[in-house]
Amino acid sequence: MDLDNFNWEEINKKLKESVRAMKSFWKSLPEQVKRLTVIVIVLIFALIFVRGLLVPADFGKYGHYRASAIDEIISQEINYAGHGICLECHDDIVEKKQSSYHKGVSCEVCHGPAAKHTESPDEVSLRAPRGRGYCPLCHEYLPSRPTGFPQIVSASHNPMKPCITCHNPHDPKPPQTPKECSACHAEIARTKSLSRHIYVPCVRCHEAPVDHKIKPREVLPSKPQTREFCGGCHGEDADSDKGIPRIDLAEHYEHYTCWQCHYPHLPEAP
Amino acid sequence: MEEIIAHLTPILKEITGYIYPNEIELHWGLLVVIYPYLTGLVAGAFILASLVKVFNVKEVQPTYRMSLLTALAFLLIAPLPLLAHLGHPEKSFEIFLTPNTTSAMAMFGFVYAWYLMAVLLLEIWFDYRKDMIVWASESSGLRRWMYKLLSLFSSDLSDKALKFDKKAAKVLTIIGIPSAFLLHGYVGFIFGSIKANPWWSSVLMPIVFLFSAIVSGIALVLLIYMVVTPMRGNKIDMTCLNKIASFLFYAMIVDFSLEALDFIHRIYESEESIKILAQLVSGKLFVSLVIIQLLIGMLVPLIAIAVVKIMDAPAELRRLVYFVSALLVQVGIFSTRWNVVVGGQLFSKSFSGLTVYKMGFFGLEGLLVSIIIMVMPFVILYVLFKVLPPFENPAQS
Repeated sequence: MDLDNFNWEEINKKLKESVRAMKSFWKSLPEQVKRLTVIVIVLIFALIFVRGLLVPADFGKYGHYRASAIDEIISQEINYAGHGICLECHDDIVEKKQSSYHKGVSCEVCHGPAAKHTESPDEVSLRAPRGRGYCPLCHEYLPSRPTGFPQIVSASHNPMKPCITCHNPHDPKPPQTPKECSACHAEIARTKSLSRHIYVPCVRCHEAPVDHKIKPREVLPSKPQTREFCGGCHGEDADSDKGIPRIDLAEHYEHYTCWQCHYPHLPEAP
Repeated sequence: MEEIIAHLTPILKEITGYIYPNEIELHWGLLVVIYPYLTGLVAGAFILASLVKVFNVKEVQPTYRMSLLTALAFLLIAPLPLLAHLGHPEKSFEIFLTPNTTSAMAMFGFVYAWYLMAVLLLEIWFDYRKDMIVWASESSGLRRWMYKLLSLFSSDLSDKALKFDKKAAKVLTIIGIPSAFLLHGYVGFIFGSIKANPWWSSVLMPIVFLFSAIVSGIALVLLIYMVVTPMRGNKIDMTCLNKIASFLFYAMIVDFSLEALDFIHRIYESEESIKILAQLVSGKLFVSLVIIQLLIGMLVPLIAIAVVKIMDAPAELRRLVYFVSALLVQVGIFSTRWNVVVGGQLFSKSFSGLTVYKMGFFGLEGLLVSIIIMVMPFVILYVLFKVLPPFENPAQS
């Protein structure tokens, strides 16, 4: 930059002029506005000062957070090893689990954090829960659990026996095939028990192949498809018990299927 | 863990239908009900004050300063229920240091600060500046210095300066109206923009909130005016009172129409949530919504005010009716806030179950803290009335 070309006198003059203009503007302000302006300026500078003091320097580098928080999180001790590494030593168990219902459950879910164990397997050993307290965390009956998910009421389900005496956690197939549908469909069974349909066995409406009990998701039971099926008991001229409510299939909301209005497991529900 | 179980067991017994586990306990309790109620009073009181300055309604001049101070007293306490609810009040200033522009809740800090500092405090300062200078010259000792400090050591009492004060207060009121709308409209916005909750999610929400705020604010100033004036041995200005009652009536008509519109719109739309909402309204919210909010808090005062106006009732009866109506309106608007905040959490997002709200007495979220928070604005208002008496106005005399 060529400083010689600047007309310093001109610049100086203009600067003085603008200072004078600002001074006269300040003087022309009402007294109360001047006082308020000072307060506002003090507040703004206080805010800038406090911001500089309190906001971490690396705030906002990546997003609305402190960038160094990432390093702090990275530097935290790692506790979990991940399920891939278990295969290296325990291939037999992993393979067994892989073909069982528990294939989606990681080893560390039951055995706990394994990072230290993978580093020094001989010194740090892992434990698995052996009492009855742990399995019900997933398998205790809860209405919000999906139907078909095996659920028990632990107070009445072999109350004195630890779970592992009958079920191998790596392949938790029950020792005997469940006789009752309610073993898995607990919510439906409980709902149905409140209804007059409690006297209707599940297989009256659902044809359940034997294999459904062994491969529940691959072999599915059937469901009624037509109005006439319900009409088998509830139709006007059906050959069924006298106390059963009857309807005229041809007249009673003929364009709808029954279960659009009546929930078959609790038909009394509004 | 055991504490939680002991807390949840009685609630579990009162749940009906199906409900997700995280919906059993309400997280926004009484404190979150009080918060929109308080901000609403602020916005409403300010709107009443603006009637004098912007819309030139000379009749309500006696309540102008009272409204401003009421708005200030309630505004100072308005964020307190939120701070008590969230915990860690010492961290709250951080929303000012690192503004998060994508969070409506975080931006509220700025709306609040703007309204408090740029609108309300400034307007009160300009309006009281002359008086503070006069009071400083008339009093002595600590009081003299207090007024000097409050007036920022200003001393200019020239006509030009006084004219500027008046002009500034008017401009600030004009800026203040949209700001008051923003302040309370925001509270409605927060609820209205929660799209997962059919009881809240409605574009009408900010507007309904706003008008119910105006109703409650006007009613509050009317109550304060009717209590404070006789206490000071003065006579109530019936022209002023009649005018305030008229504005209260108009605001209630608009508020009622908006709420009715919202209600009809919901029924006409009949979205999938309508069944559970109908269950809610006819069951758990029946008393607080239909009886208290609608009947006692809206229809009874509306009819009562209309009757005394049409019948041209004597002043004595009018005063009684206005006072009782304003009280009922307060109960009704508080109930409105309750029905929005608590009602919106009583039903499950599965639309097939209802839970219950158990209010505690002690603890940060309990009734005791809430009562203390509700009393605090009145204590502040008392102090403000002592320091900046809104009654005698040397500027006018």
